[in-house]
Amino acid sequence: MVEKEGKIWAIGGGKGGTGKSFVTSAMGTYIAGKGKRVILIDIDIGGANLHSFFGISRPKKSLTDFFEAGASLNKLAVKTGIDNMSLITGDIHSLASDNIKFTQKLKLFRHIMKLNKHYVIIDLGAGSHNNTIDTFLMADKKIVILEPEITSVENMYHFIKNALFRKLRMSLREYGFKDIVEQMWERREEYNIKSLRELMDCIRDNFSYVGDIIDKELSDFKLYLILNKIRSSDDILIGSSMKSILMKYLGVDTKFVGFVEYDDSVWRSMRERRPFMLNYSLSRSAKEVEVFTENLLKGKEIKLSRN
Amino acid sequence: MSRKNLKRYFEILEIDSGASLSEIRNAYIRLKRLYSTDSIVITPIADEFSKKRRLAVLQQIEEAYTKLNEELKDEHQKSTYFGKPGIASENVSEGEEGDSVSFSGDVLRQIREKRGIHLYEVALDTKIRVEILENIEHERFDALPQEVYLKGHVSNYARYLLLDPRKVADDYISRYKAWKADVKDKT
Repeated sequence: MVEKEGKIWAIGGGKGGTGKSFVTSAMGTYIAGKGKRVILIDIDIGGANLHSFFGISRPKKSLTDFFEAGASLNKLAVKTGIDNMSLITGDIHSLASDNIKFTQKLKLFRHIMKLNKHYVIIDLGAGSHNNTIDTFLMADKKIVILEPEITSVENMYHFIKNALFRKLRMSLREYGFKDIVEQMWERREEYNIKSLRELMDCIRDNFSYVGDIIDKELSDFKLYLILNKIRSSDDILIGSSMKSILMKYLGVDTKFVGFVEYDDSVWRSMRERRPFMLNYSLSRSAKEVEVFTENLLKGKEIKLSRN
Repeated sequence: MSRKNLKRYFEILEIDSGASLSEIRNAYIRLKRLYSTDSIVITPIADEFSKKRRLAVLQQIEEAYTKLNEELKDEHQKSTYFGKPGIASENVSEGEEGDSVSFSGDVLRQIREKRGIHLYEVALDTKIRVEILENIEHERFDALPQEVYLKGHVSNYARYLLLDPRKVADDYISRYKAWKADVKDKT
Protein backbone atom coordinates (compact mmCIF):
# COMPACT_ATOMS: atom_id res chain seq x y z
CA MET A 1 0.00 0.00 0.00
CA VAL A 2 1.35 3.38 -0.95
CA GLU A 3 0.91 6.24 1.46
CA LYS A 4 -1.41 8.82 -0.01
CA GLU A 5 0.17 11.77 1.68
CA GLY A 6 3.73 12.76 1.51
CA LYS A 7 4.83 13.13 -2.06
CA ILE A 8 7.32 15.93 -1.45
CA TRP A 9 10.61 14.47 -0.34
CA ALA A 10 13.74 16.41 0.60
CA ILE A 11 17.17 14.84 0.76
CA GLY A 12 19.67 16.47 3.09
CA GLY A 13 22.10 15.58 5.80
CA GLY A 14 24.84 18.15 6.00
CA LYS A 15 28.01 16.76 4.54
CA GLY A 16 28.89 16.98 0.85
CA GLY A 17 29.79 13.86 -1.06
CA THR A 18 27.64 11.47 0.92
CA GLY A 19 25.64 10.66 -2.19
CA LYS A 20 22.55 12.87 -1.94
CA SER A 21 22.44 13.43 -5.69
CA PHE A 22 23.03 9.77 -6.41
CA VAL A 23 20.23 8.75 -4.06
CA THR A 24 17.90 11.39 -5.50
CA SER A 25 18.51 10.31 -9.08
CA ALA A 26 18.34 6.59 -8.35
CA MET A 27 15.24 6.86 -6.22
CA GLY A 28 13.51 9.04 -8.81
CA THR A 29 14.36 6.62 -11.60
CA TYR A 30 12.90 3.74 -9.63
CA ILE A 31 9.66 5.55 -8.78
CA ALA A 32 9.27 6.77 -12.38
CA GLY A 33 9.80 3.18 -13.49
CA LYS A 34 6.76 2.22 -11.48
CA GLY A 35 4.71 4.50 -13.69
CA LYS A 36 4.48 7.42 -11.26
CA ARG A 37 5.25 10.95 -12.35
CA VAL A 38 8.38 12.38 -10.78
CA ILE A 39 9.96 15.82 -10.73
CA LEU A 40 13.45 16.19 -9.32
CA ILE A 41 14.51 19.58 -8.01
CA ASP A 42 18.18 20.28 -7.62
CA ILE A 43 18.86 23.11 -5.21
CA ASP A 44 22.40 22.25 -4.28
CA ILE A 45 23.91 25.66 -3.62
CA GLY A 46 27.45 24.41 -3.78
CA GLY A 47 26.98 23.04 -7.26
CA ALA A 48 23.84 21.72 -8.82
CA ASN A 49 24.89 18.69 -10.81
CA LEU A 50 22.00 16.30 -10.70
CA HIS A 51 21.76 16.47 -14.50
CA SER A 52 25.13 14.72 -14.74
CA PHE A 53 23.58 11.59 -13.28
CA PHE A 54 21.40 11.34 -16.38
CA GLY A 55 24.12 12.22 -18.85
CA ILE A 56 22.34 15.40 -19.91
CA SER A 57 23.88 18.85 -20.08
CA ARG A 58 23.13 21.58 -17.56
CA PRO A 59 19.59 22.87 -18.17
CA LYS A 60 19.56 26.41 -19.53
CA LYS A 61 16.58 27.41 -17.45
CA SER A 62 16.80 27.37 -13.69
CA LEU A 63 14.98 28.55 -10.59
CA THR A 64 16.49 31.98 -11.28
CA ASP A 65 13.84 32.27 -13.98
CA PHE A 66 11.21 31.44 -11.39
CA PHE A 67 12.42 34.09 -8.96
CA GLU A 68 13.29 36.79 -11.45
CA ALA A 69 10.94 36.28 -14.38
CA GLY A 70 8.07 34.46 -12.69
CA ALA A 71 8.37 31.43 -14.95
CA SER A 72 6.18 28.53 -13.84
CA LEU A 73 7.89 25.48 -12.43
CA ASN A 74 6.39 23.29 -15.13
CA LYS A 75 8.10 25.40 -17.79
CA LEU A 76 11.46 24.98 -16.06
CA ALA A 77 11.28 21.22 -15.96
CA VAL A 78 13.48 19.54 -18.56
CA LYS A 79 13.44 15.94 -19.75
CA THR A 80 15.82 13.54 -18.07
CA GLY A 81 15.71 10.89 -20.76
CA ILE A 82 13.69 8.72 -18.41
CA ASP A 83 9.96 8.33 -18.93
CA ASN A 84 7.75 10.11 -16.39
CA MET A 85 10.62 12.05 -14.88
CA SER A 86 11.77 15.64 -15.35
CA LEU A 87 14.29 17.88 -13.66
CA ILE A 88 14.32 21.45 -12.38
CA THR A 89 17.67 23.02 -11.61
CA GLY A 90 18.49 25.75 -9.18
CA ASP A 91 21.77 27.55 -9.41
CA ILE A 92 24.09 29.44 -7.23
CA HIS A 93 22.68 32.82 -8.29
CA SER A 94 19.12 32.00 -7.46
CA LEU A 95 19.76 30.38 -4.13
CA ALA A 96 22.86 32.00 -2.72
CA SER A 97 22.65 33.29 0.81
CA ASP A 98 20.65 36.49 0.79
CA ASN A 99 19.46 36.65 -2.78
CA ILE A 100 16.01 35.31 -2.11
CA LYS A 101 13.63 36.93 0.27
CA PHE A 102 11.46 35.03 2.66
CA THR A 103 8.32 35.80 0.66
CA GLN A 104 9.95 34.47 -2.49
CA LYS A 105 10.84 31.33 -0.67
CA LEU A 106 7.25 30.86 0.48
CA LYS A 107 6.11 31.37 -3.09
CA LEU A 108 8.47 28.65 -4.26
CA PHE A 109 7.15 26.26 -1.60
CA ARG A 110 3.58 27.06 -2.59
CA HIS A 111 4.34 26.24 -6.19
CA ILE A 112 6.18 23.07 -5.27
CA MET A 113 3.14 21.93 -3.29
CA LYS A 114 1.00 22.50 -6.38
CA LEU A 115 3.00 19.86 -8.19
CA ASN A 116 1.11 17.36 -6.09
CA LYS A 117 0.31 15.05 -8.98
CA HIS A 118 3.98 14.19 -8.94
CA TYR A 119 6.48 12.84 -6.57
CA VAL A 120 8.77 15.80 -5.98
CA ILE A 121 12.25 14.84 -4.83
CA ILE A 122 14.45 17.72 -3.76
CA ASP A 123 18.21 17.37 -3.64
CA LEU A 124 19.28 19.87 -0.99
CA GLY A 125 23.01 19.57 -1.32
CA ALA A 126 25.46 20.08 1.50
CA GLY A 127 25.40 22.54 4.35
CA SER A 128 22.95 23.83 6.91
CA HIS A 129 22.09 27.18 5.35
CA ASN A 130 18.69 28.59 6.29
CA ASN A 131 17.34 28.18 2.77
CA THR A 132 18.39 24.55 2.83
CA ILE A 133 16.87 23.99 6.26
CA ASP A 134 13.60 25.71 5.39
CA THR A 135 13.16 23.59 2.29
CA PHE A 136 13.93 20.51 4.36
CA LEU A 137 11.30 21.48 6.93
CA MET A 138 8.68 22.08 4.26
CA ALA A 139 8.98 18.56 2.86
CA ASP A 140 6.54 15.78 3.73
CA LYS A 141 9.37 13.30 4.01
CA LYS A 142 12.61 14.50 5.52
CA ILE A 143 15.34 12.19 4.35
CA VAL A 144 18.94 12.29 5.54
CA ILE A 145 21.87 10.51 3.93
CA LEU A 146 24.69 9.28 6.12
CA GLU A 147 28.03 7.83 5.21
CA PRO A 148 29.57 5.57 7.85
CA GLU A 149 32.36 7.91 8.81
CA ILE A 150 32.83 10.33 11.64
CA THR A 151 32.79 13.54 9.57
CA SER A 152 29.46 12.62 8.04
CA VAL A 153 28.02 11.75 11.44
CA GLU A 154 29.22 15.02 12.87
CA ASN A 155 27.73 17.11 10.06
CA MET A 156 24.49 15.22 10.28
CA TYR A 157 24.05 16.00 13.98
CA HIS A 158 24.75 19.61 13.15
CA PHE A 159 22.21 19.59 10.33
CA ILE A 160 19.49 17.91 12.37
CA LYS A 161 19.99 20.14 15.39
CA ASN A 162 19.85 23.22 13.19
CA ALA A 163 16.67 22.03 11.55
CA LEU A 164 15.05 21.19 14.86
CA PHE A 165 16.11 24.48 16.43
CA ARG A 166 14.64 26.40 13.54
CA LYS A 167 11.43 24.42 13.62
CA LEU A 168 10.96 24.97 17.35
CA ARG A 169 11.65 28.65 17.01
CA MET A 170 9.19 29.09 14.17
CA SER A 171 6.39 27.06 15.71
CA LEU A 172 6.68 28.61 19.15
CA ARG A 173 6.40 31.93 17.41
CA GLU A 174 3.24 30.72 15.66
CA TYR A 175 1.77 29.74 19.02
CA GLY A 176 2.42 33.25 20.24
CA PHE A 177 5.52 32.61 22.31
CA LYS A 178 7.48 34.92 20.16
CA ASP A 179 10.90 35.08 21.63
CA ILE A 180 11.08 32.28 24.15
CA VAL A 181 13.71 30.38 22.24
CA GLU A 182 15.79 33.45 21.44
CA GLN A 183 15.62 34.79 24.96
CA MET A 184 16.55 31.50 26.50
CA TRP A 185 19.39 31.11 24.08
CA GLU A 186 20.67 34.62 24.76
CA ARG A 187 20.68 33.94 28.48
CA ARG A 188 22.26 30.54 28.03
CA GLU A 189 25.19 31.40 30.31
CA GLU A 190 22.84 32.22 33.12
CA TYR A 191 20.81 29.05 32.63
CA ASN A 192 23.89 27.00 31.87
CA ILE A 193 22.59 25.86 28.48
CA LYS A 194 25.20 24.33 26.22
CA SER A 195 23.18 22.35 23.77
CA LEU A 196 19.84 22.13 22.00
CA ARG A 197 18.77 19.35 24.34
CA GLU A 198 19.52 21.48 27.38
CA LEU A 199 17.68 24.36 25.78
CA MET A 200 14.60 22.20 25.27
CA ASP A 201 14.82 20.86 28.82
CA CYS A 202 15.23 24.36 30.19
CA ILE A 203 12.22 25.70 28.29
CA ARG A 204 10.20 22.75 29.57
CA ASP A 205 11.27 23.45 33.16
CA ASN A 206 10.59 27.16 33.07
CA PHE A 207 7.49 27.25 30.89
CA SER A 208 5.62 24.05 31.56
CA TYR A 209 2.79 25.02 29.20
CA VAL A 210 5.22 25.11 26.32
CA GLY A 211 6.33 21.54 26.98
CA ASP A 212 3.34 20.13 25.13
CA ILE A 213 4.14 22.21 22.09
CA ILE A 214 7.71 21.00 22.08
CA ASP A 215 6.49 17.42 22.33
CA LYS A 216 4.08 17.95 19.46
CA GLU A 217 6.74 19.55 17.27
CA LEU A 218 9.13 16.74 18.05
CA SER A 219 6.55 14.14 17.09
CA ASP A 220 5.96 15.97 13.79
CA PHE A 221 9.65 16.05 13.05
CA LYS A 222 10.12 12.57 11.66
CA LEU A 223 13.26 11.64 9.80
CA TYR A 224 14.10 8.91 7.33
CA LEU A 225 17.69 7.71 7.38
CA ILE A 226 19.58 6.15 4.49
CA LEU A 227 23.10 4.83 4.95
CA ASN A 228 25.24 5.17 1.83
CA LYS A 229 28.60 3.73 0.79
CA ILE A 230 28.82 1.01 3.40
CA ARG A 231 31.83 -1.24 3.09
CA SER A 232 30.97 -4.04 5.49
CA SER A 233 27.87 -5.44 7.09
CA ASP A 234 29.11 -4.05 10.42
CA ASP A 235 28.55 -0.58 8.98
CA ILE A 236 24.81 -1.22 8.92
CA LEU A 237 24.82 -1.05 12.70
CA ILE A 238 25.76 2.63 12.42
CA GLY A 239 22.32 3.28 10.97
CA SER A 240 20.59 1.61 13.92
CA SER A 241 22.88 3.39 16.36
CA MET A 242 22.19 6.79 14.83
CA LYS A 243 18.47 6.13 15.00
CA SER A 244 18.78 5.17 18.65
CA ILE A 245 20.77 8.24 19.67
CA LEU A 246 18.52 10.65 17.79
CA MET A 247 15.58 9.35 19.81
CA LYS A 248 17.22 8.88 23.17
CA TYR A 249 19.20 12.10 23.11
CA LEU A 250 17.13 14.54 21.03
CA GLY A 251 13.72 12.85 21.06
CA VAL A 252 13.66 12.72 17.26
CA ASP A 253 11.85 9.76 15.72
CA THR A 254 13.89 8.34 12.86
CA LYS A 255 13.06 5.52 10.50
CA PHE A 256 16.12 3.69 9.23
CA VAL A 257 14.87 2.77 5.76
CA GLY A 258 17.91 1.20 4.17
CA PHE A 259 21.47 1.26 2.95
CA VAL A 260 23.54 1.09 -0.22
CA GLU A 261 26.94 -0.50 -0.35
CA TYR A 262 29.94 1.22 -1.81
CA ASP A 263 29.93 0.49 -5.53
CA ASP A 264 32.32 1.63 -8.25
CA SER A 265 29.64 1.21 -10.86
CA VAL A 266 27.96 4.37 -9.59
CA TRP A 267 31.03 6.29 -10.58
CA ARG A 268 31.43 4.27 -13.78
CA SER A 269 27.85 5.03 -14.72
CA MET A 270 28.54 8.73 -14.47
CA ARG A 271 31.56 8.31 -16.76
CA GLU A 272 29.45 6.46 -19.24
CA ARG A 273 26.83 9.21 -18.98
CA ARG A 274 24.09 6.66 -18.37
CA PRO A 275 21.58 6.56 -15.48
CA PHE A 276 22.84 4.09 -12.90
CA MET A 277 19.51 2.41 -12.22
CA LEU A 278 19.12 1.53 -15.91
CA ASN A 279 22.75 0.81 -16.62
CA TYR A 280 23.32 -1.48 -13.65
CA SER A 281 19.76 -2.47 -12.91
CA LEU A 282 20.77 -5.94 -11.75
CA SER A 283 23.53 -4.86 -9.40
CA ARG A 284 23.24 -5.33 -5.66
CA SER A 285 23.31 -1.58 -5.09
CA ALA A 286 20.39 -1.08 -7.48
CA LYS A 287 18.41 -3.67 -5.52
CA GLU A 288 19.31 -1.86 -2.29
CA VAL A 289 18.01 1.40 -3.77
CA GLU A 290 14.77 -0.38 -4.63
CA VAL A 291 14.44 -1.68 -1.08
CA PHE A 292 14.79 1.68 0.65
CA THR A 293 12.64 3.49 -1.92
CA GLU A 294 9.85 0.96 -1.32
CA ASN A 295 10.28 1.48 2.41
CA LEU A 296 10.02 5.23 1.94
CA LEU A 297 6.89 4.86 -0.16
CA LYS A 298 5.30 2.66 2.48
CA GLY A 299 6.72 4.48 5.50
CA LYS A 300 8.38 1.31 6.73
CA GLU A 301 11.75 0.54 8.23
CA ILE A 302 14.29 -1.86 6.87
CA LYS A 303 14.06 -5.36 8.26
CA LEU A 304 17.44 -6.36 9.58
CA SER A 305 18.24 -9.97 10.17
CA ARG A 306 19.47 -10.81 13.61
CA ASN A 307 23.12 -10.59 12.71
CA MET B 1 2.41 -5.31 34.40
CA SER B 2 0.10 -3.11 32.38
CA ARG B 3 0.11 -3.24 28.63
CA LYS B 4 1.24 0.40 28.60
CA ASN B 5 4.32 -0.22 30.73
CA LEU B 6 5.15 -3.28 28.76
CA LYS B 7 4.96 -1.26 25.57
CA ARG B 8 7.22 1.42 27.01
CA TYR B 9 9.89 -1.13 27.90
CA PHE B 10 9.80 -2.54 24.41
CA GLU B 11 10.15 0.99 23.06
CA ILE B 12 13.19 1.66 25.22
CA LEU B 13 14.80 -1.46 23.83
CA GLU B 14 13.70 -0.33 20.35
CA ILE B 15 11.98 -3.55 19.39
CA ASP B 16 8.44 -4.57 18.42
CA SER B 17 6.22 -5.72 21.23
CA GLY B 18 6.04 -9.09 19.52
CA ALA B 19 9.80 -9.57 19.75
CA SER B 20 11.12 -12.93 20.84
CA LEU B 21 13.24 -13.45 23.92
CA SER B 22 16.45 -13.68 21.96
CA GLU B 23 15.57 -10.44 20.17
CA ILE B 24 15.04 -8.76 23.52
CA ARG B 25 18.43 -9.91 24.71
CA ASN B 26 20.18 -8.92 21.48
CA ALA B 27 18.66 -5.45 21.64
CA TYR B 28 19.76 -5.10 25.24
CA ILE B 29 23.34 -6.08 24.45
CA ARG B 30 23.49 -3.82 21.41
CA LEU B 31 22.17 -0.75 23.23
CA LYS B 32 24.28 -1.33 26.29
CA ARG B 33 27.38 -1.41 24.15
CA LEU B 34 26.28 1.65 22.19
CA TYR B 35 25.83 3.87 25.24
CA SER B 36 28.76 2.64 27.27
CA THR B 37 31.54 2.83 24.68
CA ASP B 38 32.88 5.56 22.43
CA SER B 39 32.15 5.10 18.76
CA ILE B 40 31.91 7.25 15.66
CA VAL B 41 28.26 7.94 16.43
CA ILE B 42 28.90 9.04 20.01
CA THR B 43 32.22 10.90 19.78
CA PRO B 44 30.96 13.83 17.66
CA ILE B 45 28.42 14.77 20.35
CA ALA B 46 30.30 13.47 23.39
CA ASP B 47 30.69 16.97 24.84
CA GLU B 48 26.96 17.64 24.99
CA PHE B 49 25.71 14.08 25.36
CA SER B 50 27.51 13.83 28.66
CA LYS B 51 28.52 10.74 30.64
CA LYS B 52 25.79 11.57 33.10
CA ARG B 53 23.10 11.64 30.44
CA ARG B 54 24.37 8.45 28.91
CA LEU B 55 24.30 6.82 32.31
CA ALA B 56 20.66 7.77 32.65
CA VAL B 57 19.95 6.15 29.28
CA LEU B 58 21.81 3.03 30.35
CA GLN B 59 19.74 2.85 33.52
CA GLN B 60 16.53 2.97 31.49
CA ILE B 61 17.80 0.21 29.25
CA GLU B 62 18.74 -1.88 32.27
CA GLU B 63 15.35 -1.32 33.85
CA ALA B 64 13.47 -2.21 30.68
CA TYR B 65 15.44 -5.42 30.28
CA THR B 66 15.06 -6.44 33.92
CA LYS B 67 11.34 -5.70 33.99
CA LEU B 68 10.65 -7.57 30.79
CA ASN B 69 12.53 -10.56 32.10
CA GLU B 70 10.73 -10.42 35.43
CA GLU B 71 7.41 -10.23 33.66
CA LEU B 72 8.18 -13.38 31.73
CA LYS B 73 9.50 -15.20 34.76
CA ASP B 74 6.50 -14.10 36.77
CA GLU B 75 4.22 -15.48 34.13
CA HIS B 76 6.07 -18.74 34.32
CA GLN B 77 5.65 -19.08 38.08
CA LYS B 78 2.02 -18.10 38.19
CA SER B 79 1.02 -20.48 35.52
CA THR B 80 2.83 -23.36 37.20
CA TYR B 81 1.29 -22.37 40.52
CA PHE B 82 -2.15 -22.78 39.04
CA GLY B 83 -1.22 -26.23 37.96
CA LYS B 84 -0.73 -24.94 34.49
CA PRO B 85 2.38 -25.55 32.51
CA GLY B 86 5.49 -23.43 32.63
CA ILE B 87 5.65 -20.91 29.95
CA ALA B 88 8.55 -21.61 27.73
CA SER B 89 11.14 -18.99 28.36
CA GLU B 90 14.76 -19.08 27.47
CA ASN B 91 15.67 -17.60 30.81
CA VAL B 92 13.77 -20.17 32.77
CA SER B 93 15.22 -23.45 31.79
CA GLU B 94 14.30 -25.87 34.54
CA GLY B 95 12.85 -28.01 31.84
CA GLU B 96 11.32 -30.44 34.33
CA GLU B 97 7.77 -30.01 33.30
CA GLY B 98 8.93 -29.92 29.72
CA ASP B 99 7.01 -33.07 28.99
CA SER B 100 3.77 -32.02 30.51
CA VAL B 101 3.64 -28.55 28.98
CA SER B 102 0.17 -27.79 27.80
CA PHE B 103 -0.67 -24.66 25.89
CA SER B 104 -4.37 -25.08 25.57
CA GLY B 105 -6.46 -22.37 23.96
CA ASP B 106 -7.67 -21.51 27.41
CA VAL B 107 -4.12 -20.93 28.70
CA LEU B 108 -3.41 -18.67 25.73
CA ARG B 109 -6.56 -16.72 26.51
CA GLN B 110 -5.57 -16.34 30.18
CA ILE B 111 -2.13 -15.07 29.31
CA ARG B 112 -3.60 -12.62 26.84
CA GLU B 113 -6.17 -11.31 29.31
CA LYS B 114 -3.58 -10.93 32.01
CA ARG B 115 -1.63 -8.68 29.71
CA GLY B 116 -4.77 -6.67 29.07
CA ILE B 117 -4.66 -7.29 25.35
CA HIS B 118 -7.84 -7.40 23.36
CA LEU B 119 -8.30 -9.96 20.61
CA TYR B 120 -8.67 -7.13 18.12
CA GLU B 121 -5.19 -5.89 18.95
CA VAL B 122 -3.80 -9.35 18.35
CA ALA B 123 -5.66 -9.52 15.07
CA LEU B 124 -4.35 -6.15 14.01
CA ASP B 125 -0.72 -6.98 14.72
CA THR B 126 -0.66 -10.61 13.64
CA LYS B 127 -3.02 -10.21 10.68
CA ILE B 128 -4.97 -13.25 11.91
CA ARG B 129 -8.73 -12.83 11.74
CA VAL B 130 -10.53 -12.40 15.06
CA GLU B 131 -12.82 -15.40 14.44
CA ILE B 132 -9.83 -17.64 13.93
CA LEU B 133 -8.21 -16.38 17.13
CA GLU B 134 -11.45 -17.04 18.98
CA ASN B 135 -11.67 -20.53 17.58
CA ILE B 136 -8.05 -21.14 18.58
CA GLU B 137 -8.76 -20.08 22.15
CA HIS B 138 -11.89 -22.20 22.37
CA GLU B 139 -10.21 -25.07 20.58
CA ARG B 140 -13.05 -25.39 18.10
CA PHE B 141 -10.98 -27.70 15.99
CA ASP B 142 -13.72 -28.34 13.46
CA ALA B 143 -13.93 -24.65 12.65
CA LEU B 144 -10.18 -24.12 12.33
CA PRO B 145 -8.19 -24.07 9.09
CA GLN B 146 -5.99 -26.92 7.93
CA GLU B 147 -3.07 -28.04 10.03
CA VAL B 148 -0.32 -26.17 8.14
CA TYR B 149 -2.18 -22.88 8.35
CA LEU B 150 -3.27 -23.49 11.90
CA LYS B 151 0.30 -24.14 12.97
CA GLY B 152 1.37 -20.81 11.46
CA HIS B 153 -1.44 -18.96 13.20
CA VAL B 154 -0.75 -20.52 16.58
CA SER B 155 2.99 -19.76 16.26
CA ASN B 156 2.30 -16.14 15.39
CA TYR B 157 -0.14 -15.77 18.22
CA ALA B 158 2.34 -17.35 20.65
CA ARG B 159 5.11 -15.06 19.45
CA TYR B 160 2.86 -12.09 20.04
CA LEU B 161 2.34 -13.24 23.63
CA LEU B 162 6.12 -13.61 24.03
CA LEU B 163 5.88 -17.38 24.27
CA ASP B 164 8.11 -19.82 22.49
CA PRO B 165 6.25 -20.22 19.20
CA ARG B 166 7.51 -23.70 18.47
CA LYS B 167 6.69 -25.22 21.83
CA VAL B 168 3.23 -23.70 21.86
CA ALA B 169 2.46 -24.73 18.30
CA ASP B 170 3.75 -28.29 18.76
CA ASP B 171 1.70 -28.74 21.85
CA TYR B 172 -1.41 -27.23 20.33
CA ILE B 173 -1.12 -29.22 17.13
CA SER B 174 -0.66 -32.47 19.05
CA ARG B 175 -4.12 -31.99 20.54
CA TYR B 176 -5.49 -31.03 17.14
CA LYS B 177 -4.06 -34.26 15.70
CA ALA B 178 -5.55 -36.34 18.51
CA TRP B 179 -8.93 -34.81 17.79
CA LYS B 180 -8.58 -35.50 14.10
CA ALA B 181 -7.64 -39.13 14.67
CA ASP B 182 -10.63 -39.40 16.95
CA VAL B 183 -12.96 -38.05 14.29
CA LYS B 184 -11.52 -40.46 11.77
CA ASP B 185 -12.09 -43.42 14.06
CA LYS B 186 -15.71 -42.56 14.47
CA THR B 187 -16.41 -42.43 10.77
